[in-house]
Amino acid sequence: MKLLKDKKNELDEINKEFLAETLNGSAILHEALSSFIEGKVSKELLDGVIQSERKCDELKEKFTQVLFKDKRALPFLVEDRYNILMMIDTVNDKMEFFARFLKVNPFKLYEDINDEFRELCNACTKSVEELINCVILIETDFDGAYKITFTIEGLKRKARTAKFDLLEKLYKMEDNPLKVYLTSKLVTYIYEIASWTEETSDYLRGLIIKYPSR
Amino acid sequence: MALLYIIMIFLIISIIISFGIGANDETMATLYGSKTLSMKELLILATIFAILGATLLGNNVSETVGKDLLAIEVTNSIVLTILISTSIWLIVSSAFGLPISTTHATIGAIIGIGFLKGGGFGVNWSTILEMGIWWILSPVIGYLVTYGTYKLIHKFVISKLNGFKSFIKTEKYFSYILLAVICWTAFSRAGNDCSNAVGIVVGVGIGVDTNILLLITGLSFASGIVILGRSVIKNVGTITELHPSTAFASEIPIGVILFFGTLLGIPLSGSHMLVASLIGLAKARRAPTKKGLWKILIIWLATFPIAALISIALYFPIETFI
Repeated sequence: MKLLKDKKNELDEINKEFLAETLNGSAILHEALSSFIEGKVSKELLDGVIQSERKCDELKEKFTQVLFKDKRALPFLVEDRYNILMMIDTVNDKMEFFARFLKVNPFKLYEDINDEFRELCNACTKSVEELINCVILIETDFDGAYKITFTIEGLKRKARTAKFDLLEKLYKMEDNPLKVYLTSKLVTYIYEIASWTEETSDYLRGLIIKYPSR
Repeated sequence: MALLYIIMIFLIISIIISFGIGANDETMATLYGSKTLSMKELLILATIFAILGATLLGNNVSETVGKDLLAIEVTNSIVLTILISTSIWLIVSSAFGLPISTTHATIGAIIGIGFLKGGGFGVNWSTILEMGIWWILSPVIGYLVTYGTYKLIHKFVISKLNGFKSFIKTEKYFSYILLAVICWTAFSRAGNDCSNAVGIVVGVGIGVDTNILLLITGLSFASGIVILGRSVIKNVGTITELHPSTAFASEIPIGVILFFGTLLGIPLSGSHMLVASLIGLAKARRAPTKKGLWKILIIWLATFPIAALISIALYFPIETFI
């Protein structure tokens, strides 16, 4: 019984660390995007996003290893918690992918689309922040977590609007096709963060609805 | 020498039939379905309670089944035919993972022999009808009580929970209670079912100590659970999605009704009650049940005629051998 309790505490600790690191990665990404909008590509900040993702990967592996040791720690909810962790890990992967893309293709953003890009970036990083809040809140307050899922949905809609407003302007530009292409890819990759965050929040909403107290 | 020979044959047959009963025992299914215990852990627990139940509770029902059902002279070959027919049908259905009622299979075999030997007068119909009322009532009670129990648990406990942490805490408490209820059920079921295996031997009065017979059948019953019973446990445990709290709601009626049934000497079907309980639970939660439940219903309906036909087919070869 003591072993199970130790294992449960260990899992809780890893989970907390994982969520904190995801928030950290999102904050670094936000900073990197802000400087990108101002015309600078900070490789240090982009490396920070990549390192944060690596750390999250290590924590995820540690979590999985603890989970599949000889004894089960959390017979109830174990699968749901594992799925939540894996989905947030995909959010981390998408942030890392974006950082790597910008790192290998650094370019200056068109000033005409700065506002839309800023709105898109803000919505994306804010949605990651809200997602982590939602995951923390689902442990103690279903109603609060349920409300946050709608906030995330709103942020995704905002990001989508900003994305298409931006693309509309971008495709009308008569400039170097490679730069237009790279910008459109960049926009798509950053939008995917918000999109996947919303997928994860939908999953969380499904869990809240599934639990019989709803 | 002849008596020893008969005793040995009866013992072997008792071992085979209790193995068949154990193979079809699904008491632990909800522990598996709610992931409270792993298959290995629950098989160990099943073994312990099978032996305890058989030896401590088995005496009550054996006499009812053995003495009251046949209106003809009960010979050794009749007893053997009934036991073998029942065990064949139990083992066949267990191999397909389908839960059937041991009591129904035994009664089906008795009816077959009764018809063969005495026509319509070979079976004590009044006793069969008396039992039949309970066979119909017990799944109905199981369904209704589980439905009501779940609604109460939901209203007073589950609906007040908020967040995963409170769920985990509450489910943990339910898992402890569930464990206790299932151990109790396994204990009383082993008493009920093992007594059916030895009941007819007791009825014939060949002079074997009932306690020894019950101990042997208890051990064999446990082997049946371990070797073949796991597929039945898996099948029943996944009829609907279970948590410790919902599994608890479905086990209560079975535990209570079986315990009092055993004490009162009423041979009830735990399998029918459990399956009905799980369906009642799914209905109360508006949750889906798994596909293919019709196979269980078909095998329930087929148990009487098939057990009867097997006993009719086996009687003459066994009588010639004996």
